[in-house]
Amino acid sequence: MALDKRAARLGVLALVATMLFGVVGTRLWFLQTVEQETLQAEVDLTKRRTVQLLPERGRIFDSDGRILADNERMLSVVLPWEIIRRADDREEIFRRVSGWVDVPVEEMERRFDNPQESPLLGLVVADDIDERTATALLERVEDFPELQVVERTRRVYPYAPLASHVVGYMGRITAETQEVYEERGYELNERVGKFGIELEKELELRGTPGYVVYEVDKFSRIVRTIEEVPPVNGRDIQLTIDLDQQQYAEQTLETMLKLRRQVTASNGLDPETNFEERFFPDFPKEVPFKAPAGSVVAMNHDNGHVIALASYPTFDNRWFEADLSGGKFEELFDVTDPETGKADPDRSTLVNRAIQGRYNLGSTFKPFVAYSALATGFMGVNDIYVDEGTYRMETVEDWKCSSGLVRCVFRNATCFGTGRPCVYGPVDIELSLAVSSDAFYYRIGEQLLNEENFDPEVYGEGRLLQDNVSLFSFGADTGIDLPFEFDGTVPDAELKARYAELGVISEAEGDGYFSGDNVQFAIGQGLLSASPLQLAVGYGTIANGGFVLKPEIIKAVYQPGTPDAAEPGFADISKAILAEEPNVRGELVRQIPFAQEWRDAINRGLRRVITGPGTNTRTGYRSTTGEKLFFYYPDSAIPIAGKTGTAQGANNYPWNDSSAFAGYSIDREHPFTVTAYLEKAGYGSQAAGPVVKCMFMQLSGAVEADPVVLSDPLNTEAISPAGPKTLSDTSCFAGRFSQVQIAE
Amino acid sequence: MTTFLSRRPDSGLGNIKASPADPSRNIDWVLVTVQFALAIIGFFIVFSTSRTRVIEDPYAFATRQVVFALVGIVVMSIVMASDYEFWKDRARSLYTLTIITLVFLVLLGVASGEDRISFDLGIINFQPAELAKFTTLLMLATYLAEERSEEVSYARFLGGLIIVAIPAVLVIIQPDLGSASVIVSIAMGVLLVAGAKLRYIFMISVLAVATVGAAFIGGLVNSYQEARILALLNPAAAGTDETYQADNAMRALGTGGAWGKGWLQGPLTNDGDIPVMWADFPFAAVGEQFGLAGCAALLVLIGVALLRIWRIAHLSRDLLGTYICAGVFTMLLWQTFQNVGMTLKILPVTGLPLPFISYGGSGLIVYFAMFGLVQSVHMRRMR
Repeated sequence: MALDKRAARLGVLALVATMLFGVVGTRLWFLQTVEQETLQAEVDLTKRRTVQLLPERGRIFDSDGRILADNERMLSVVLPWEIIRRADDREEIFRRVSGWVDVPVEEMERRFDNPQESPLLGLVVADDIDERTATALLERVEDFPELQVVERTRRVYPYAPLASHVVGYMGRITAETQEVYEERGYELNERVGKFGIELEKELELRGTPGYVVYEVDKFSRIVRTIEEVPPVNGRDIQLTIDLDQQQYAEQTLETMLKLRRQVTASNGLDPETNFEERFFPDFPKEVPFKAPAGSVVAMNHDNGHVIALASYPTFDNRWFEADLSGGKFEELFDVTDPETGKADPDRSTLVNRAIQGRYNLGSTFKPFVAYSALATGFMGVNDIYVDEGTYRMETVEDWKCSSGLVRCVFRNATCFGTGRPCVYGPVDIELSLAVSSDAFYYRIGEQLLNEENFDPEVYGEGRLLQDNVSLFSFGADTGIDLPFEFDGTVPDAELKARYAELGVISEAEGDGYFSGDNVQFAIGQGLLSASPLQLAVGYGTIANGGFVLKPEIIKAVYQPGTPDAAEPGFADISKAILAEEPNVRGELVRQIPFAQEWRDAINRGLRRVITGPGTNTRTGYRSTTGEKLFFYYPDSAIPIAGKTGTAQGANNYPWNDSSAFAGYSIDREHPFTVTAYLEKAGYGSQAAGPVVKCMFMQLSGAVEADPVVLSDPLNTEAISPAGPKTLSDTSCFAGRFSQVQIAE
Repeated sequence: MTTFLSRRPDSGLGNIKASPADPSRNIDWVLVTVQFALAIIGFFIVFSTSRTRVIEDPYAFATRQVVFALVGIVVMSIVMASDYEFWKDRARSLYTLTIITLVFLVLLGVASGEDRISFDLGIINFQPAELAKFTTLLMLATYLAEERSEEVSYARFLGGLIIVAIPAVLVIIQPDLGSASVIVSIAMGVLLVAGAKLRYIFMISVLAVATVGAAFIGGLVNSYQEARILALLNPAAAGTDETYQADNAMRALGTGGAWGKGWLQGPLTNDGDIPVMWADFPFAAVGEQFGLAGCAALLVLIGVALLRIWRIAHLSRDLLGTYICAGVFTMLLWQTFQNVGMTLKILPVTGLPLPFISYGGSGLIVYFAMFGLVQSVHMRRMR
């Protein structure tokens, strides 16, 4: 019977199964009872140790491929912690190693007390030793047991101090940021970006660390490698910065500031006192300008690419890699005024004024107010206002004015040589910009605040001016890929209340927003503040006809390992591999309504600032604010339009006037916008104007610029954060009847 | 409530069409229960072994395993719903399709110069070797059942051998020794029950060993597989990287003791000391967390499953059903023994998953399908 046979054979299967289960069961029993303790002991003894493999940091290039930040391999001497833990041993081994590596014992002790990096391996006692020394040390095993020579990388900045505010610098992880970095898997001894692109793109530049997991025995000896994950190097970042332009901007800025320090502001005789007393009786006739700081922005207003971003005072980012000792660092970056002994913000170096500066814009703000007047329909392009030199507010009751309760009369800027406010007569939008009529804008400021014909639903209550200038990005950051950007402020009731709470202004002042506030706001004074970059974005928007662009500082991001080019200091961008699609056309933040008629009027006014003519008044010819400066501006150079601005500083002292200028090309082939802001340096046409003029002449190729060269090694004996930069050819500073002195 | 539970008087003839022989009334519920218990235990073990590995989502592996099981249930239902005769008629075409797929995979591997054991279908990695287990069993059982004698003739035995050898060799070339061994184990079970003489069985064993030897010499074995086998043969080599996984698995299991360290309390499991534990060493996780008691319970469940399959092999109405059950029986037995054996360090590490417990879509779905076949045999035993 077939079935019986089948049953028998199935029985064999069952037998096999029982046997196998028996084997497994027995072994299981044995392992989990008899062997349990032995195995537990084994588990307790085997430990794992994970060693991080750090990736190589990505490099930073300029738009031509110059390597702005690089990594340098170096050999370092490392002593394991075990052998230097005891003071006696340490002293002994430090003494012996010291001569070989040319590092004093005290320096090693300092490093021991304050270890910079790598506690994992041991103490790094000497960096950058040559190969012969390394070999010699390693050969003398009996003298230097356990001594290791490891290859490490160091951040180098081959063109420092150029563009150091943009490139930034690195440093240790501080207690405040510790948690953030730990969450992202950083070792606490790593160096991280602290400023500029090094900070902004830290995660991309760093790459992803790998690791090796070792199994170690109870003596911490490596038994075997369990797992090894290689690191992924950081991505390379190319900036939109063109170092040729950057160097020229930095040289021009610094040279001009130093020139302005040799000039004085006049403390003239006040006609109100019948020319008997000076405007500021406590001060002498002439007071020198301090001209401590400034910045320059040059950008392409077609795609938002920032080609130069200069800030002064500047610094050499190699100081942060120099491992300074003995308070040298604090000495270099000290902001204490030697005369008063107080901290002086004018001296701070580690701030990028081009994006962090909080400045009144002065008259450079007027085009945006003109736009607001046109866009709200408050004025037409041909409407005339007669400028009598002063403006008396129309919406305030007479008794308030006459009682002195409210300041109702606002004056134009003082005309040169007269001591009295300039009078321009009949003025339209175009001329108001060309000669910079304050009264014209005072009126717009007052009227826009009090205008009742506008629908608050559409325009916001009393915010006509605020909302319209905000379209140009005032009062909000531009979104540039750099850290610590200043948002800027647009004055309104809310801002005043906030400032009163913070104690910036008195509580009485903070109580409400009045016509007087808007009058000041309309000429770029009062609580308006913006950075030179915001100013550049605003003028770029006028230049390109209403496209507010995000300023781009990053041109491209490449995969790790872009090779060097044959020319020293350059990377071979043609061999670079894009990591993400670059935003060549720029990022549009918003397009704003900009009728051709308004645009033409504003453009004509700003063009006339450069070319003239001014206007004939009862008291004679009044030139435009820029026509003398640009008198010798070559016809071959890029045609530009622009606006001067003079922002009044503390106590309205003339020597506290900050100088601003914004200019843009009207040639579509060269879509550049340049702004400059020089603190406490005089009128807009005196300091910032010449800087912008020089920048445009350089962009046109009308002046000779110094070639960009690789830097000399950092002079660690230096006492300033950065060496001087001097413009070799300052002829572009000069205008007609120029008061600008030409440097030797 | 009570009216709901009690049948209404006039509905007494409601299911008169269902005779006691109706397939749907003959599901082996014991086997189903055991199978689902195993799968559910699997979810928990997969979670406990993988939760610390995927930081973003501790449930990533467990969730996928549940989804695989749901797919498995669908597949199993389809298989159960059809008479296994249905599969008999299609055994040849399914088998041919499998061979074509395996050849294609080998060619793909040669072309790309890499080892290929799966097709990446986007959401799932399809492993043809798993399909081969199912179709080879069907083909072999069908082929042998065509001869209705007590013992298979030598000619038919050789034919059966060729049926098994083709997919087995193709799978070895991939190289996936583990799956090949499963296919061979299926063949041995089926052939044994079909009445192959003992010397034939011996012959297969020799052939299998020879094939493995040839694979070694021909360089078809991965270096890591080679090292694993050598490590087992030469205990002095223990302590090298290759034995790390197995060493720690055994330690995890052993340190669990009689009652284990408790759910989610196993340090070796939690620290990820055993790479790919969720697929290769889930049994060690059971041992570390639930001890000897847990391991024994798991083995008893598998034992019950084996017993039920063995019983169905007896009950089958025809030889085909018996052969199918025999194949599934040996497959489950061999795979369990192999996986548990490597955890206990009495067999080399092959990467064969523990049925129902190990993480993995293809393996789980094939087991659901196989159990579906067995159920189909049970359900239709009375016709």
